[in-house]
Amino acid sequence: MTVLLGSIMGKYAIFILGAMGAALFFMLLEPILLIMKRRSVIQEVRRFKRLEERQRR
Amino acid sequence: MKINWFKYAVPMNFYSLSGKMIPLFWILAVIFLIAGFYWGFFKTPNSLNNGMKEYYRIIFVHLGSVWMAMWLYIMMVFWALLGLVFNTRLSYMMASATSITGTFMTVIALISGAVWGKTSWGTWWDWDPKLTTFLILLFIYIGYIALQSAIEDTRRSDKASALLALVGLALVPVIYSAVNCPDPTQCASLHQESSMKNIESNILIGIALTTFGFWMYSFAVIFMRARNIILERERKTSWVSKLKEMNE
Repeated sequence: MTVLLGSIMGKYAIFILGAMGAALFFMLLEPILLIMKRRSVIQEVRRFKRLEERQRR
Repeated sequence: MKINWFKYAVPMNFYSLSGKMIPLFWILAVIFLIAGFYWGFFKTPNSLNNGMKEYYRIIFVHLGSVWMAMWLYIMMVFWALLGLVFNTRLSYMMASATSITGTFMTVIALISGAVWGKTSWGTWWDWDPKLTTFLILLFIYIGYIALQSAIEDTRRSDKASALLALVGLALVPVIYSAVNCPDPTQCASLHQESSMKNIESNILIGIALTTFGFWMYSFAVIFMRARNIILERERKTSWVSKLKEMNE
């Protein structure tokens, strides 16, 4: 692995991996946050729906 | 086949359409990003003719994110403008969904650019025109998001932030053209003019693949966020309460 990284990144491996790591971090963070948000929005809508049904009864 | 575009301006129709398109965008994003990085790391030379060593490979992250940050801003203004002209709710929702992905792309571009700057210029940051204008773009994105969440009435916040986005559009051509001028004593910039036409074709293939991957990724997350916004804003409507996920 080290040899492979060394052959394609040379002494700049830490910089290239750092830039790619930062990109990957943000690109994974965004959908994770969106999935969490979706869950909370769905729960909120369900709560609203239950409240509405209770008021109707 | 004639497509009725106005049909998809209705949040209910767009919600179901985007739900079907998101997996497709994710698949394309993963395929193109993996192919682009594989190509960029294993099929390209270790150094360039202009003396750049292995660190030039940061280009495969940096260029895609820079282009996306600017294109997403243009896209956000397009939606905001549509909202202002036609007063369509979905346009404002799309503008709002685009703004956060644009912010993320700007942050990725600034970080990858700083790393590239350290390896090639020996500094993480410089008040070079391109870097400075790009930082201002980040502030405009943050300003747009802040303005939207500061006003409780969504119709008012949508209109106010749409106007801010429109004013900020003037920055995009400035960022694009903020490179060395003929006389460096008049306007010094570390960024050079685009050298895309002199670049080797296999490096261009890597750039094209990763940029297309960034596009697909952006569409996937923007549609995901737009669906969340639609649910949040339309929660009182009957079609939302009839959705499958609300009755599980």
